[in-house]
Amino acid sequence: MHQETAVLRHEFDPIDRELIESFKAGSSEAMERLVERYENRIFTFGLKMCGHRQDAEDIAQETFLSAFRHLDRFRQETPLKNWLFKIAARACFRKRRKKKGEPDREISIESLRHEDGNGGDYFIPDPDESPHDAVLRLELKTIIDNSIRSLPPKYRMVFNLRDMEGFSTEEAAQIMGISIQLVKTRLHRARLFLRDKITAAYREGGLQ
Amino acid sequence: MTDNCMKHFERISEYLDGELDPATCIEIERHMAECPQCENCVESLKRTVALCRKMGGEKLAPDEATRIREKLRECLFREHKAG
Repeated sequence: MHQETAVLRHEFDPIDRELIESFKAGSSEAMERLVERYENRIFTFGLKMCGHRQDAEDIAQETFLSAFRHLDRFRQETPLKNWLFKIAARACFRKRRKKKGEPDREISIESLRHEDGNGGDYFIPDPDESPHDAVLRLELKTIIDNSIRSLPPKYRMVFNLRDMEGFSTEEAAQIMGISIQLVKTRLHRARLFLRDKITAAYREGGLQ
Repeated sequence: MTDNCMKHFERISEYLDGELDPATCIEIERHMAECPQCENCVESLKRTVALCRKMGGEKLAPDEATRIREKLRECLFREHKAG
């Protein structure tokens, strides 16, 4: 449908606008408030991408530092949140390159399709009936986290931006600098991959 | 998996995200009504996304938040001082 990278127009958040202006005028309180508004989401994104809290902390620091250094040049054509995630996505990429681990790879649609030919025997717990017991909840969370973590990085990033952070397809494409079609393709494969991973974890003795 | 199943299989996520035109949605829904495997496939994918959203959240701990802000203040202050 759309091969080109998205061009988006957004309403700019008035609180962000005010805080940015105050920061430019020298308010350290405005800086604190901007960090407070986005730190949890950026940290969560970093943690989902890298899997370690220390790495997520580094990514959050790097993101905010870079943002405040360049805020005077930020033209407010995209929401601040999207701009921060774009910086964070680059920070995650640099972190992975620096650690020289986890090579990226493709997920073939064929590897996901054959599972659907066996009668659709999936075991995905009902999200509305997730366990009340703290131990079982923790086990379930570990299964989910490990499954997301096992996605190849470029698929993990699309999944985290779209399904965990709630960005639209167009926004995710803009943040990652890829086409809308590529976001759709990667998201679909990531979801199928996760469904199979979660099902496998249950079959191998996860929660019942 | 029939050819018809294959055709719809690659568009399930777009269907769930409301990114398809109405005619294609109706086509997929008609197919699902006749194909329990594909219906199950769509349902399981919908559950997967909902479950990840519900269980995958994280929370920044207070000491982590403090460290992020302290380092940030320190770096920006140092840079400001250096001009």
